[in-house]
Amino acid sequence: MFIRLLIPTIAVLLFLFEPLLAMFSPIVIGEQIVFLVPRFLILYLIFIAIYYNRKRAVLYGLFFGLLYDVFYIDIIGLYSFLYPLLCFIAGWSVKYIHQHLVITTVLAVMLVASMEIALYEFFFLINFTPMTFQMFLNNRLIPTIMANLIFLAMLGWAFKYLINKRVLQRAHNGA
Amino acid sequence: MPHFSNKKIIVLLVSTVFLVALIGFSLSNRHNATLPEQIIKDTVGFAQSVAAKPTGYITGIYSNIEALLNTYEENKRLKSRLENFVVLQSEVDGLKSENKKLRELIDKEDSLRDFQPIHATVIARNPDQWEEKIILNKGQVHGIEKNMAVMTAQGLVGKIIAVTPFTSEVELLYTKNANYRISALVQGGKKDIVGAIEGYDGERNELILKRINPSFEVEVGKQVVSSGLGGIFPKGILIGEVTEVTTEDFGLTKMAYVKPSADFSMLENVIVAKRDMTAIDGSDGDGTNVNLTDPPEEEEEE
Repeated sequence: MFIRLLIPTIAVLLFLFEPLLAMFSPIVIGEQIVFLVPRFLILYLIFIAIYYNRKRAVLYGLFFGLLYDVFYIDIIGLYSFLYPLLCFIAGWSVKYIHQHLVITTVLAVMLVASMEIALYEFFFLINFTPMTFQMFLNNRLIPTIMANLIFLAMLGWAFKYLINKRVLQRAHNGA
Repeated sequence: MPHFSNKKIIVLLVSTVFLVALIGFSLSNRHNATLPEQIIKDTVGFAQSVAAKPTGYITGIYSNIEALLNTYEENKRLKSRLENFVVLQSEVDGLKSENKKLRELIDKEDSLRDFQPIHATVIARNPDQWEEKIILNKGQVHGIEKNMAVMTAQGLVGKIIAVTPFTSEVELLYTKNANYRISALVQGGKKDIVGAIEGYDGERNELILKRINPSFEVEVGKQVVSSGLGGIFPKGILIGEVTEVTTEDFGLTKMAYVKPSADFSMLENVIVAKRDMTAIDGSDGDGTNVNLTDPPEEEEEE
């Protein structure tokens, strides 16, 4: 019962934790302003999609994406589309890749990077940002990927451990 | 590739159309939250403010330690300024009472400068940072309205762009939004020079003050404050300091680069300024997102 509740609880905590960390950004390094965008929730949801249950991950993605859209962005349909899509792709890829922690981590970070690029293209299209792609790459994408990679390297095993516990418990109850 | 049946393709197409329609709809009126949106915002805002408390506590400890380490240096610097301060204080007191007397003399009590401060705490910052937005823990019920000025002790940081009953959204000064305007003036010369803060230079990290009358001489180092002529902001909130003056693209007006005085990196507590004098809609107000250079047909009142 406890572990069952723990999985959505962690998702909620990560959702609340993201904007608090975002307050530290942007960081000025030398001459450059570097944006670090925390993407912890979607990384966690990708892990759920790969190790646990694709359908559930897509549903969580839809729910949190909608919250994100309404609370922060005021454009409904952006994250509430991208989050489930990413979870779907992650769940679908399970058939083709080996579920080793390192591979999952790299895959998750790559998916987040592609989401960042899609978001950049969208905001560029509707004239929200005058940033060129080169600037985006240097000031946002690479630092963001680095930061999230560090986060996942630290906590990825914990996610996996937790989700595996839940899977085992489920199998146990089912048997 | 996964196998798609006809039904799946139809669902996919319909949802794509729905998605595009939804994005289009929410883009067109972004700053007026509908009722379900308000409910979601207030609920998430409540959870967020609970989560922000321990974090605020930890960063508080951190900044306390930092402050403690700088105490000696700071003390030295402050002592030297203290003497000037006493002189300044008595001068300000004198000016204040004189100002009051003069106001009574001409029967004018209201001033554009007067405002009621509403203290608010920052509970979140837009994590994806495509727009420079922060969210405060005070809303309509506390008297906050759209377009009010938001500042810290050091100066102006932004203005309110959306309110729900218990939260409000602030767009920061260094936004990339081209339609974000604040009516400002340059102080310190013989005469105050009026202009408008329009836009932000990302490379220089400075604000741009445009529409300055070219017959006036703007000096580097002068202070820029809000003018109060925009309609909603009170007068005299510090914005920053002029760092460079050039001519605008077409050579008709001057523009100046302004270095903002407020520190935007760790905003925790801010003050929302509720102007005492009646607010009217001007360039700070709802006119903000109107295309001023090519205005649509307006009803004419004669």
